[in-house]
Amino acid sequence: MTDSALPLAGLRVLDISSFIAAPAAATVLGDWGAEVIKVEGPDGDPNRAIMHDSSNYPKAEVNYPWQMDSRNKRSIVLDLKKPEARDALDRLIEKSDILICNFPPPVRDKLRLAYDDVKKVNSKLIYASLTGYGETGPDRDRPGFDATAYFARSGLLDAQRYEGGPPGVPGPAQGDRATAMALVSSILMALIHRMKTGEGSWVGTSLLGNGLWSCGVIAQAALVGAFLPHRPPPDRPRSALGNIYRTSDDRWLQLTIVRADKMWRPLCQALGLATLPDDPRFSGEAERRLNSAALAQIMSDIFATRPYEYWREALAANAITFGVISRPQDVPDDEQAVACGAVVETAIPDMPRTLANPIRLGFAEQRVAYPAPALGQHSEEVLLEAGMSASEVAALKTAGAIR
Amino acid sequence: MSEPALPLAGLLVLDISTFIAAPAAAVALADYGADVIKIEAPGEGDPHRHNYKRAATYPRSENNFPLQLDGRLKRSLALDLKTPEARPVLERLVKRADIMIVNFPPPARERLRLRWEDVEPLNPRLVYASLTGYGETGPDRDRPGFDVTAYFGRSGILDSARYEGGPPGLSLPAQGDRATAMTLVAAILLGLRHRDQTGKGCWVGTSLYANGAWANGTTLAGAAIGGKLVTREPPHKPKNALTNLYRTSDDRWLQFLMVRDDRLWPTFCQVIGRPELEKDPRFSDREERRRRAQELYGILSPLFESRTYAEWEALLSTTGIPFGVIGRAVDVVDDEQAQHAGIFSDTANPDVPRTVNNPIRLGFAKPRISGRPSAVGENNEDVLRELAYSADEIEALKKAGALG
Repeated sequence: MTDSALPLAGLRVLDISSFIAAPAAATVLGDWGAEVIKVEGPDGDPNRAIMHDSSNYPKAEVNYPWQMDSRNKRSIVLDLKKPEARDALDRLIEKSDILICNFPPPVRDKLRLAYDDVKKVNSKLIYASLTGYGETGPDRDRPGFDATAYFARSGLLDAQRYEGGPPGVPGPAQGDRATAMALVSSILMALIHRMKTGEGSWVGTSLLGNGLWSCGVIAQAALVGAFLPHRPPPDRPRSALGNIYRTSDDRWLQLTIVRADKMWRPLCQALGLATLPDDPRFSGEAERRLNSAALAQIMSDIFATRPYEYWREALAANAITFGVISRPQDVPDDEQAVACGAVVETAIPDMPRTLANPIRLGFAEQRVAYPAPALGQHSEEVLLEAGMSASEVAALKTAGAIR
Repeated sequence: MSEPALPLAGLLVLDISTFIAAPAAAVALADYGADVIKIEAPGEGDPHRHNYKRAATYPRSENNFPLQLDGRLKRSLALDLKTPEARPVLERLVKRADIMIVNFPPPARERLRLRWEDVEPLNPRLVYASLTGYGETGPDRDRPGFDVTAYFGRSGILDSARYEGGPPGLSLPAQGDRATAMTLVAAILLGLRHRDQTGKGCWVGTSLYANGAWANGTTLAGAAIGGKLVTREPPHKPKNALTNLYRTSDDRWLQFLMVRDDRLWPTFCQVIGRPELEKDPRFSDREERRRRAQELYGILSPLFESRTYAEWEALLSTTGIPFGVIGRAVDVVDDEQAQHAGIFSDTANPDVPRTVNNPIRLGFAKPRISGRPSAVGENNEDVLRELAYSADEIEALKKAGALG
């Protein structure tokens, strides 16, 4: 398959965004064939340095987060505070299909990057906005990050804690990457709209909106006045059949038995507890819930006697649904991670494998990842393509508007 | 906004799926105008209809609140796909449909002849959307996957999301399912684009596992090149005192995320009323502050415990210092900002008067208002009449047990 057969081939995307959620959406569009130009300020996207700046990132010699979030993009540096740069940007906007922006609203106003500013330049443009907290309201100008807007403000972290414990901990960029898929969906809706009407449009999403969508059960329950108490710790679960257990080789198994009425006997069989189904304390779902601490104790004693592989076979043989709590280092070499298309090979010598975006299409493969651009690597090339003359580009350089 | 302006108006979607990730994708399509017919087993229907009573992890309510989220704006056809009489009904629907969403594990699809290769001959313009737990091939492709197992457990998120020495992190019910739904929507929209470009239908899909891995992508990309994985110290032992959690005097939590502390440190010292810290040689630059994170925590922790959340919010909100409260669901539903962000909407269902919007916002269209979700088989006659079934034929299908 050639790149020209990819579903987004021929579309040009301006990625005027920083950090992760919005740039990752641009990455996904690039994976499916769009040409992505990353427009950066003279200091570059701070995501270039986040591996060192954030203590939550695994440390490595290779700048893997930057490689992952900027694959197959070209970089142009425009100092949008300089008037000369604006003309160059407008030329790019004229020739683009999609503009992704995640500056907080006051910065957009200052840089004239609001939708109203850019649609004058190109009425067919799809303007994709990513904010922390939405486009209006008391917190619209507040910078939002996934830990704050997606996880904390939404109620996720509060709900993701064991009773009496501190709030849950999100993984780095976990909510950003999920949010990227909503932004991609909104952009694709706008492409449909443009095809039908010939018109561009504003689309967008917010980290807060995505956080609440992902914890929709809790939020929807709260809307009808139902609340969930914090989850009891694993030694006294609400249901021993929906709990985590440590195996003898210090791995964790997570039981997720949804149809407990049907699966109780097969579970006892898998655990080798032949008499347990007849124990009156656990005879029905109500009794098992009532005595869940006792049942959890029995089960955790049994699970602790044998290694993960043993339980994996015993549970699978009895059609019991469960999952292992993988460690991150297990995943890249998990055959199934490759089979589901999550882990793919790259054309980046320093980083031979990366994470694909989770969309699979029967008619196309995601583009292979090539190295992320150096800051301003493609400034001249991009502007010449946009129709500027060599002397105009040189003048911009002299004025310090590009680099 | 009148309905024809919705971007997906005129598209017919068959939602032949259960539980949450795949049905939630169908909801998002319905929100933006698609006509969604949910095909479910007669009697009990989609088992998700009963989660609000059965699942220990769901908040208790008399009200089937999850159905407003995952069953809204759908018509229900109770069709027993295991009966031979149901097949012609299904085939008539497939011929008219634009999109078909399936999440049965592969062996069930094969048995029910619901694979892409089974339905493509009936409708070569169909966009077939597949949701699996673990992918379409590989040793675990047939394993039933749920979001706790496939999205959170297998992808390493739960292991990453724990404090050092503590048990694995927790996920909320359907948290990964709903994130995955957005990916399935994107896949379907790419499929529609392909159809527009080529005139041909196609297979598209995603898996819970791939979505969990994507969400955990930063950490996994680090692991894939042998990066040194980090453990999360609990709040009282931070690696960076400026990206940490602090309890306030009213037992709320403030979360700092001061990634640019090189720039914000002087402001921060002013705001917390300790201007002398700015020039304190112990904390003079980023490196020193990291090295003495524990010491800095010792200074900051009692400070934050001395005021309420509201006081801190007032002090911090205009400073550009990124922080967030650890919100509670109880607060969020009345959060003015959530209203502005278009997160909640009113319904036309008196039992569940408000619901959670899908996170896609469009300048040219608003998501449809949802009414009361259909009961199992509520729209049987309606749907079959549209397929030109006569009253006698419908009666015969009922007799044969194909229709619930």
